[in-house]
Amino acid sequence: MTATTSIVDRLRARIGQDGPATEAMVEAGHLKRFVEAIGDPNPRWAEEAPPTFLVALAPASVHLAEAEEYGKGWLNGGNRFEYLEPVKVGDRIKATGRVADVYEKTGSSGSLLFIIFETDYVNQEGRLVARLRGTAIRR
Amino acid sequence: MSLKVGDEIPELVKHPTTRQLVQYAGAQGDFYEIHYDQAYAQSVGLPGVILHGLLKAGFLGQLVTDWLGDRGTLKTFEVSYRGIDQPARPYTCRGRVTKVDGDQVELEVWGEDSTGNRTTVGTATLDMKG
Repeated sequence: MTATTSIVDRLRARIGQDGPATEAMVEAGHLKRFVEAIGDPNPRWAEEAPPTFLVALAPASVHLAEAEEYGKGWLNGGNRFEYLEPVKVGDRIKATGRVADVYEKTGSSGSLLFIIFETDYVNQEGRLVARLRGTAIRR
Repeated sequence: MSLKVGDEIPELVKHPTTRQLVQYAGAQGDFYEIHYDQAYAQSVGLPGVILHGLLKAGFLGQLVTDWLGDRGTLKTFEVSYRGIDQPARPYTCRGRVTKVDGDQVELEVWGEDSTGNRTTVGTATLDMKG
Protein backbone atom coordinates (compact mmCIF):
# COMPACT_ATOMS: atom_id res chain seq x y z
CA MET A 1 0.00 0.00 0.00
CA THR A 2 1.41 3.40 -0.97
CA ALA A 3 1.36 6.44 1.28
CA THR A 4 -1.28 8.17 -0.82
CA THR A 5 -3.52 5.10 -0.80
CA SER A 6 -3.50 5.10 2.96
CA ILE A 7 -4.43 8.81 3.09
CA VAL A 8 -7.35 8.12 0.75
CA ASP A 9 -8.44 5.16 2.89
CA ARG A 10 -8.23 7.21 6.09
CA LEU A 11 -10.30 9.97 4.51
CA ARG A 12 -12.82 7.54 3.07
CA ALA A 13 -13.47 6.30 6.60
CA ARG A 14 -14.88 9.80 7.33
CA ILE A 15 -17.55 9.64 4.60
CA GLY A 16 -21.02 10.29 5.98
CA GLN A 17 -19.88 11.54 9.38
CA ASP A 18 -21.13 15.00 10.34
CA GLY A 19 -18.46 17.52 11.31
CA PRO A 20 -19.04 19.83 14.29
CA ALA A 21 -22.05 22.12 13.74
CA THR A 22 -21.41 25.86 13.78
CA GLU A 23 -23.94 28.59 14.42
CA ALA A 24 -23.76 32.16 13.24
CA MET A 25 -26.00 35.20 13.10
CA VAL A 26 -26.49 36.95 9.76
CA GLU A 27 -25.21 40.44 10.54
CA ALA A 28 -25.85 43.52 8.38
CA GLY A 29 -22.22 44.65 8.69
CA HIS A 30 -20.91 41.28 7.57
CA LEU A 31 -23.28 41.24 4.59
CA LYS A 32 -22.12 44.74 3.66
CA ARG A 33 -18.44 43.75 3.77
CA PHE A 34 -19.18 40.63 1.75
CA VAL A 35 -21.03 42.37 -1.08
CA GLU A 36 -18.50 45.22 -1.11
CA ALA A 37 -15.76 42.61 -1.60
CA ILE A 38 -17.67 41.15 -4.56
CA GLY A 39 -18.45 44.65 -5.83
CA ASP A 40 -22.19 44.03 -5.92
CA PRO A 41 -24.02 47.30 -5.11
CA ASN A 42 -27.57 45.85 -5.19
CA PRO A 43 -29.47 47.51 -2.27
CA ARG A 44 -31.37 44.25 -1.78
CA TRP A 45 -28.32 42.84 0.06
CA ALA A 46 -28.81 45.27 2.96
CA GLU A 47 -31.45 42.84 4.26
CA GLU A 48 -31.00 39.59 2.39
CA ALA A 49 -28.04 37.28 1.77
CA PRO A 50 -26.75 37.18 -1.83
CA PRO A 51 -26.39 33.74 -3.48
CA THR A 52 -22.93 32.80 -2.19
CA PHE A 53 -23.01 34.43 1.28
CA LEU A 54 -23.53 31.18 3.19
CA VAL A 55 -19.88 30.25 2.65
CA ALA A 56 -18.92 33.30 4.72
CA LEU A 57 -21.18 32.32 7.58
CA ALA A 58 -19.64 28.97 8.37
CA PRO A 59 -16.74 26.94 6.99
CA ALA A 60 -17.90 25.28 3.77
CA SER A 61 -15.72 22.23 4.42
CA VAL A 62 -14.88 19.95 7.30
CA HIS A 63 -11.27 20.44 8.42
CA LEU A 64 -9.34 17.33 7.40
CA ALA A 65 -5.73 17.65 8.54
CA GLU A 66 -4.79 14.32 6.94
CA ALA A 67 -5.85 15.59 3.49
CA GLU A 68 -3.00 18.09 3.66
CA GLU A 69 -0.52 15.23 3.61
CA TYR A 70 -1.63 14.67 0.00
CA GLY A 71 -0.08 16.86 -2.73
CA LYS A 72 0.97 20.41 -2.04
CA GLY A 73 -2.09 22.57 -2.38
CA TRP A 74 -5.87 22.92 -2.46
CA LEU A 75 -8.00 23.90 -5.42
CA ASN A 76 -11.72 24.53 -5.39
CA GLY A 77 -13.34 22.36 -8.06
CA GLY A 78 -16.86 23.68 -7.81
CA ASN A 79 -19.83 24.59 -5.65
CA ARG A 80 -23.50 23.83 -5.90
CA PHE A 81 -26.03 25.79 -3.85
CA GLU A 82 -29.64 24.79 -3.39
CA TYR A 83 -31.93 27.45 -1.92
CA LEU A 84 -35.09 26.55 -0.03
CA GLU A 85 -35.80 29.83 1.76
CA PRO A 86 -34.26 33.32 1.75
CA VAL A 87 -31.64 34.07 4.40
CA LYS A 88 -32.13 37.48 6.04
CA VAL A 89 -30.34 39.77 8.46
CA GLY A 90 -31.01 38.58 11.99
CA ASP A 91 -31.36 34.93 11.06
CA ARG A 92 -29.40 32.51 13.17
CA ILE A 93 -28.06 29.78 10.92
CA LYS A 94 -26.72 26.43 12.03
CA ALA A 95 -24.40 24.81 9.49
CA THR A 96 -23.58 21.13 9.58
CA GLY A 97 -20.99 19.81 7.18
CA ARG A 98 -19.95 16.32 6.24
CA VAL A 99 -17.65 14.50 3.87
CA ALA A 100 -19.86 13.04 1.14
CA ASP A 101 -17.21 11.35 -0.98
CA VAL A 102 -13.45 10.96 -1.39
CA TYR A 103 -11.72 9.63 -4.48
CA GLU A 104 -8.45 9.83 -6.35
CA LYS A 105 -8.00 10.42 -10.08
CA THR A 106 -4.81 9.98 -11.99
CA GLY A 107 -4.33 11.97 -15.15
CA SER A 108 -1.50 13.07 -17.41
CA SER A 109 -0.32 15.71 -14.94
CA GLY A 110 -0.31 13.37 -11.94
CA SER A 111 -2.74 12.35 -9.23
CA LEU A 112 -5.48 14.44 -7.73
CA LEU A 113 -7.52 13.84 -4.61
CA PHE A 114 -11.18 14.88 -4.72
CA ILE A 115 -13.16 15.49 -1.54
CA ILE A 116 -16.86 16.23 -1.82
CA PHE A 117 -18.32 18.20 1.08
CA GLU A 118 -21.98 18.75 1.85
CA THR A 119 -23.31 21.39 4.22
CA ASP A 120 -26.87 21.85 5.45
CA TYR A 121 -27.99 25.27 6.70
CA VAL A 122 -30.88 25.37 9.16
CA ASN A 123 -32.42 28.58 10.51
CA GLN A 124 -33.53 29.54 14.03
CA GLU A 125 -36.94 28.00 13.36
CA GLY A 126 -35.38 24.65 12.53
CA ARG A 127 -36.11 24.89 8.80
CA LEU A 128 -33.57 23.84 6.20
CA VAL A 129 -32.86 27.04 4.21
CA ALA A 130 -30.05 25.91 1.92
CA ARG A 131 -27.68 23.13 1.03
CA LEU A 132 -24.19 23.38 -0.39
CA ARG A 133 -22.12 20.75 -2.15
CA GLY A 134 -18.48 21.55 -2.79
CA THR A 135 -15.60 19.78 -4.49
CA ALA A 136 -12.20 20.35 -2.91
CA ILE A 137 -9.15 19.11 -4.79
CA ARG A 138 -5.67 18.35 -3.45
CA ARG A 139 -2.95 18.46 -6.08
CA MET B 1 -42.74 38.24 -19.37
CA SER B 2 -41.64 35.99 -22.16
CA LEU B 3 -38.24 34.44 -21.73
CA LYS B 4 -37.08 32.13 -24.46
CA VAL B 5 -34.22 29.76 -25.02
CA GLY B 6 -31.21 31.62 -26.32
CA ASP B 7 -32.01 34.93 -24.59
CA GLU B 8 -28.75 36.48 -23.44
CA ILE B 9 -28.09 37.98 -20.03
CA PRO B 10 -26.39 41.40 -20.17
CA GLU B 11 -22.68 40.84 -19.53
CA LEU B 12 -20.99 41.93 -16.30
CA VAL B 13 -17.31 42.87 -16.52
CA LYS B 14 -15.25 42.77 -13.34
CA HIS B 15 -11.78 44.21 -12.81
CA PRO B 16 -10.45 42.25 -9.83
CA THR B 17 -7.39 43.56 -8.00
CA THR B 18 -5.14 41.97 -5.38
CA ARG B 19 -6.71 44.42 -2.92
CA GLN B 20 -10.11 42.95 -3.76
CA LEU B 21 -8.79 39.43 -3.11
CA VAL B 22 -7.66 40.53 0.36
CA GLN B 23 -11.03 42.19 0.93
CA TYR B 24 -12.82 39.02 -0.16
CA ALA B 25 -10.54 36.79 1.94
CA GLY B 26 -11.53 38.82 4.99
CA ALA B 27 -15.24 38.91 4.17
CA GLN B 28 -15.46 35.18 3.51
CA GLY B 29 -12.92 34.16 6.12
CA ASP B 30 -10.82 32.20 3.60
CA PHE B 31 -7.21 33.05 4.33
CA TYR B 32 -5.58 30.48 2.06
CA GLU B 33 -2.33 32.20 1.04
CA ILE B 34 -2.63 31.50 -2.71
CA HIS B 35 -5.06 34.42 -2.87
CA TYR B 36 -2.74 37.16 -1.54
CA ASP B 37 0.83 35.88 -1.02
CA GLN B 38 2.69 35.90 -4.33
CA ALA B 39 5.69 33.86 -3.10
CA TYR B 40 3.44 31.24 -1.50
CA ALA B 41 1.30 30.96 -4.64
CA GLN B 42 4.42 30.37 -6.75
CA SER B 43 5.73 27.81 -4.25
CA VAL B 44 2.69 25.61 -4.94
CA GLY B 45 3.12 25.87 -8.70
CA LEU B 46 0.78 28.75 -9.51
CA PRO B 47 1.87 31.67 -11.73
CA GLY B 48 0.98 34.09 -8.92
CA VAL B 49 -1.98 34.86 -6.68
CA ILE B 50 -5.32 33.72 -8.07
CA LEU B 51 -8.95 34.64 -7.58
CA HIS B 52 -10.98 32.64 -5.08
CA GLY B 53 -13.32 30.31 -6.95
CA LEU B 54 -16.09 31.53 -4.69
CA LEU B 55 -15.34 35.17 -5.60
CA LYS B 56 -15.91 34.21 -9.24
CA ALA B 57 -19.11 32.45 -8.13
CA GLY B 58 -20.07 35.69 -6.38
CA PHE B 59 -19.55 37.60 -9.64
CA LEU B 60 -21.74 35.09 -11.49
CA GLY B 61 -24.35 35.29 -8.73
CA GLN B 62 -24.43 39.06 -9.26
CA LEU B 63 -24.83 38.52 -13.02
CA VAL B 64 -27.91 36.38 -12.37
CA THR B 65 -29.53 38.43 -9.59
CA ASP B 66 -28.98 41.76 -11.44
CA TRP B 67 -30.78 40.33 -14.45
CA LEU B 68 -33.46 38.46 -12.50
CA GLY B 69 -34.40 41.28 -10.14
CA ASP B 70 -37.70 40.53 -8.40
CA ARG B 71 -39.13 38.60 -11.36
CA GLY B 72 -38.32 35.23 -9.81
CA THR B 73 -36.37 33.22 -7.26
CA LEU B 74 -33.04 31.48 -7.58
CA LYS B 75 -33.51 27.78 -6.76
CA THR B 76 -30.10 26.28 -7.54
CA PHE B 77 -26.77 27.76 -8.53
CA GLU B 78 -23.86 25.58 -9.54
CA VAL B 79 -20.38 26.54 -10.69
CA SER B 80 -17.33 24.54 -11.77
CA TYR B 81 -13.90 26.10 -11.76
CA ARG B 82 -12.07 25.01 -14.89
CA GLY B 83 -9.14 27.39 -14.87
CA ILE B 84 -7.37 29.91 -12.71
CA ASP B 85 -7.77 33.67 -12.97
CA GLN B 86 -5.31 36.30 -11.86
CA PRO B 87 -5.99 39.83 -10.62
CA ALA B 88 -5.39 42.88 -12.83
CA ARG B 89 -7.10 41.12 -15.73
CA PRO B 90 -10.72 41.71 -16.68
CA TYR B 91 -13.14 38.91 -15.88
CA THR B 92 -16.33 38.87 -17.96
CA CYS B 93 -19.50 37.15 -16.78
CA ARG B 94 -22.06 36.05 -19.34
CA GLY B 95 -25.09 33.82 -19.54
CA ARG B 96 -28.08 32.77 -21.56
CA VAL B 97 -31.39 31.00 -21.14
CA THR B 98 -31.11 27.29 -21.93
CA LYS B 99 -34.53 25.98 -20.93
CA VAL B 100 -38.01 27.37 -20.32
CA ASP B 101 -40.69 25.08 -18.93
CA GLY B 102 -43.61 27.15 -17.68
CA ASP B 103 -42.29 29.05 -14.64
CA GLN B 104 -39.15 26.93 -14.46
CA VAL B 105 -36.18 28.46 -16.25
CA GLU B 106 -32.59 27.29 -16.60
CA LEU B 107 -29.61 29.45 -17.37
CA GLU B 108 -26.11 28.65 -18.49
CA VAL B 109 -23.61 31.09 -16.99
CA TRP B 110 -19.88 31.41 -17.38
CA GLY B 111 -16.91 33.63 -16.63
CA GLU B 112 -14.29 34.36 -19.25
CA ASP B 113 -10.72 35.47 -18.80
CA SER B 114 -9.25 38.23 -20.95
CA THR B 115 -8.52 35.78 -23.79
CA GLY B 116 -12.12 34.51 -23.91
CA ASN B 117 -11.35 31.24 -22.12
CA ARG B 118 -14.29 30.01 -20.02
CA THR B 119 -12.53 29.51 -16.69
CA THR B 120 -15.78 29.09 -14.73
CA VAL B 121 -18.93 27.47 -16.03
CA GLY B 122 -22.22 27.01 -14.29
CA THR B 123 -25.97 26.72 -14.30
CA ALA B 124 -28.77 28.44 -12.43
CA THR B 125 -32.35 27.29 -12.08
CA LEU B 126 -35.08 29.82 -11.45
CA ASP B 127 -38.68 29.80 -10.37
CA MET B 128 -40.28 32.75 -12.19
CA LYS B 129 -43.36 32.78 -9.95
CA GLY B 130 -41.38 35.09 -7.70
